[in-house]
Amino acid sequence: MKLRPFRLFVLILSLFIPAALVAVILFLVIYSGQAIVFNGLHFITNVNWNLGDLYDDPVVVRGIQVPAGAAYGVLAFIVGTLATSALAILIAVPLSIGTAIFLCEAVPEIERATWRYFPWLPPLRQALAMLVELVAVVPSVVFGLWGVAVLIPFLGHYVSPTGNGYGLLAASIVLALMITPIIASTLYDALSQVPKENRESAFALGSTHFEVVTKAMLPMVRTTLIGGIVLALGRALGETMAVLMVSGGGINILPTSLFSPISTIASFIVSQLDSAETDPTNMAVRALSEIALVLFLITLAVNAGAKLLSSGALNVRKPQ
Amino acid sequence: MNIAKLLRTGVAALAITAAAGAIPHAAQASVPLTETGSSLLYPLFNLWVPAYTASHSGATITTTSTGSGAGIAQSIKGLVQIGASDAYLSDAVVKGHPTMLSIPLAISSQAINYNLPGIASLNLSGPILAGIYEGKITKWNDPAIAAANPGVTLPDHVIVPIHRIDGSGDTFIFSQYLAFSDKDWASTLHYGTSISWPAVSGGIGANGNPGMVTALQNNPYGVAYIGISFAKQVAAAGLGQAALLDKHGEYVLPTEETISTAASSVASTTPADERISIVFTPGVNAYPIVNYEYAIVNSQQPNKATAAAIRKFLTWAVNEGNATSFVSQVHFLSLPAAVKALTVAQIKTIK
Repeated sequence: MKLRPFRLFVLILSLFIPAALVAVILFLVIYSGQAIVFNGLHFITNVNWNLGDLYDDPVVVRGIQVPAGAAYGVLAFIVGTLATSALAILIAVPLSIGTAIFLCEAVPEIERATWRYFPWLPPLRQALAMLVELVAVVPSVVFGLWGVAVLIPFLGHYVSPTGNGYGLLAASIVLALMITPIIASTLYDALSQVPKENRESAFALGSTHFEVVTKAMLPMVRTTLIGGIVLALGRALGETMAVLMVSGGGINILPTSLFSPISTIASFIVSQLDSAETDPTNMAVRALSEIALVLFLITLAVNAGAKLLSSGALNVRKPQ
Repeated sequence: MNIAKLLRTGVAALAITAAAGAIPHAAQASVPLTETGSSLLYPLFNLWVPAYTASHSGATITTTSTGSGAGIAQSIKGLVQIGASDAYLSDAVVKGHPTMLSIPLAISSQAINYNLPGIASLNLSGPILAGIYEGKITKWNDPAIAAANPGVTLPDHVIVPIHRIDGSGDTFIFSQYLAFSDKDWASTLHYGTSISWPAVSGGIGANGNPGMVTALQNNPYGVAYIGISFAKQVAAAGLGQAALLDKHGEYVLPTEETISTAASSVASTTPADERISIVFTPGVNAYPIVNYEYAIVNSQQPNKATAAAIRKFLTWAVNEGNATSFVSQVHFLSLPAAVKALTVAQIKTIK
């Protein structure tokens, strides 16, 4: 086979992204190598995170130089990451399904007469759909500010038994708001592409509008829904700033209630990096890059799981 | 074809830049300097730089706020010329990088603030604060707090200790106060820009000094440590300021007088490399949480022009720049004369 210049060019371009991915993984593994050796499995089973005494002479443990008293256990942050994302999905999915169904099936039609007087009015449905998509591109720090200024005083005054609004629930609500438009707009696109025939035949068989939506339309967009959730999870797992602002920054403690302060992996890396850089042994930064590796593996696992779900490999109804 | 052209242009541009870099600088003042680091020092640098560049034509200084740790790390790596830090370099760092200097530029301090409805004045000490942040003292009417506050009716309510989640010079000096006044804290948690905060149920982490003010405002019965630069915001939020037990055994509020007493009490004992804590110093009426704000600079610069530009700017900063009109805007204090002499001597070693 002859390699044409164009093909070669495209081939190089297409290899770029996988190469970058491999480079990132390699960097993380190599850079955190010493930390992986030092921490062992305790890294993911311990709750205690301590940079050690950075102002005292470093000590040598198992042949590796570390600050005195250093211990790196990230279980609390793994739990924090998974708990906030799971709660956020739990809140966002019903909201998104409701929004998508409303946009697709229940937006009231504007009367023709109205159009005559206000010809510049966009169709209501498109306008609302655009609005939902617009929320998806709001920078996350804006959600964080809203969380600090509105959500946290509200939770503290009216919901939390201790009067403290910061924590797991606040972070999950902020994340849920951030990801709802992602799921809703993908689902809306899919719903509006369900063939007219399916919908009309369901009506013809005597289904109510509710049955048409739940039995004829939603089952057809299940794969898209899973895809949307995965996209949303990707954002929720990696969200940093907004979480940092409302999570209460729990450290050395596992969440016991919805109002426990927590830290997610992404927000914790950001909050610790500055201090870690003053570590003369550099072990703190290596440990942080080991957490980054863990986050990477978590997102990989989520994506792989979703691929399995949407490919039908785990579909028990249609064994094929 | 277009790409090839673009590439050629890029290579040419690079070559020109490289050549320009190789040519010795004719005018010293044109060497661009970059400052990065402490968010507490950043506002002061932003007051200094416009005034300095206005009076020194051709000087360009870029300032960024990244955090003390980044300031130290980037200055050591040579990515920036001036690293700003609330904490001096540790012994281990100095051992590894003996040419790195910690140069005090001004004096800062920190307030312990509380949100207790109806209580106008409150006395706290290092051991009490250590107990609160370790979870050993959990209620405001604890006997230890009551003993420090005779005549004050303290509420029977759970304390909400609020700490910084991000690495911070404020955490550094706060934990120094606890470590220097409480042996237990010193042996277990030490001091540093990040602390492995013990699990206190109800304790909260907040991001940055603005986050600390909001978190304390949102949490009645809370206590927090907040940099003195935020005194205005704290007062506007209606939060209380605690008097702290000094080494001499008195409760002292942070005022210009008590802070400068603390600073001058160490002026004579400050070593030549000026790496010294002004936290919990002896001296009557000396506020216990005070610190130098440092410029972290490598004494061996890659070329003479850069070294000269750094020397010139830092000398200006500790002389004209230390005028009250600058430092009082961010609630800092000028360096005492004895310390200034040491600082000037350190600046002269930059080559």
